[in-house]
Amino acid sequence: MQEATFLILTALADGSQHGYGIIADVLEISGDRVRLRPGTLYSALDRLRTDELIEVDREEVADGRLRRYYRLTPTGTRLLAAEAARLQANAGAALTRLNPAAGTAR
Amino acid sequence: MTGQAGLEQRYRRLLAWYPRAFRRENGPEILAVLMACAPDGQRRPGLAEYANLIRNGLLLRLRPGLPRSARTVRAAVWLMYAGAALSTLNLINSVYLTIALASIDDNKLHHVRLPELTGYLQVPPLRPLAVAVGIVGDLVVIALWLWMARSAGQRRNWARIAAAALFGLATMDISVALADPRLISLTGSLGGLAVLVLTWPVGVAAVCLLWLPASTAFFKRQDLASAQPPGPALSGE
Repeated sequence: MQEATFLILTALADGSQHGYGIIADVLEISGDRVRLRPGTLYSALDRLRTDELIEVDREEVADGRLRRYYRLTPTGTRLLAAEAARLQANAGAALTRLNPAAGTAR
Repeated sequence: MTGQAGLEQRYRRLLAWYPRAFRRENGPEILAVLMACAPDGQRRPGLAEYANLIRNGLLLRLRPGLPRSARTVRAAVWLMYAGAALSTLNLINSVYLTIALASIDDNKLHHVRLPELTGYLQVPPLRPLAVAVGIVGDLVVIALWLWMARSAGQRRNWARIAAAALFGLATMDISVALADPRLISLTGSLGGLAVLVLTWPVGVAAVCLLWLPASTAFFKRQDLASAQPPGPALSGE
């Protein structure tokens, strides 16, 4: 899974968000490292909707402009959980090997 | 026109790179996010924004709108794009032939049969016509590959029927060309014939993938879904 996809799914993990909210959340989650452009975000959202990993939660009009809120589907939640576990296991293995005091040195 | 209105107008124009259906459903929302992301005082999109919107718009036009679960259909669509790329090689070959033949001094060589050429290209008086037919034929073949890929990517069941029929015709064309190259002009040269023969396995694989049980089940589900009454419409542009 690409990092941008992982971060978008993570931004939706604790509730629905609209496009601008996702961009702001991804920036925060990544520690100001990943700044999604709207074109990239909506291309990713379209793919994630096609793959049935996210869905539209609701629509609102704020200041005369459309806001569409997205949320994870059960499939998206499962995939994100599996990917997070995989990354955690990989990171754990890397840290253990980098720091012999914290684990078994090889 | 104020700076904000001008910026919005420019963004709206840039969204024309996106597919119409995508624009209809997401245009107002993307526009809202683009405007929200724009710093105060910005009057026109930056170069990076131009590049990002154009790139993503084109990608969305090419990318099959198929879910991850429809692996076989997705693979078939990408193979059809590969077929279009191979056919483009054939077109380049045809254009090269045109340039090469134009450089021949017809007064000296009009009667010469060139062994590397096939079909009517071996008959000097018919060369211009054969070259023109070859180029038009290549363009038609590329358009057919792209049309089939796009239609299958849009979950159209008829696309796999049409793809199988067109592939049958292409197979007959190649068989005739291999049996007696003088009978056809589309291949143009031995190089062109080689590309045509290389393209055939791509076509076989694409058609087979489209008719696998998993693909058939996917297209049937799409037919059933499209027969359902539509849900509430999303707000348009």
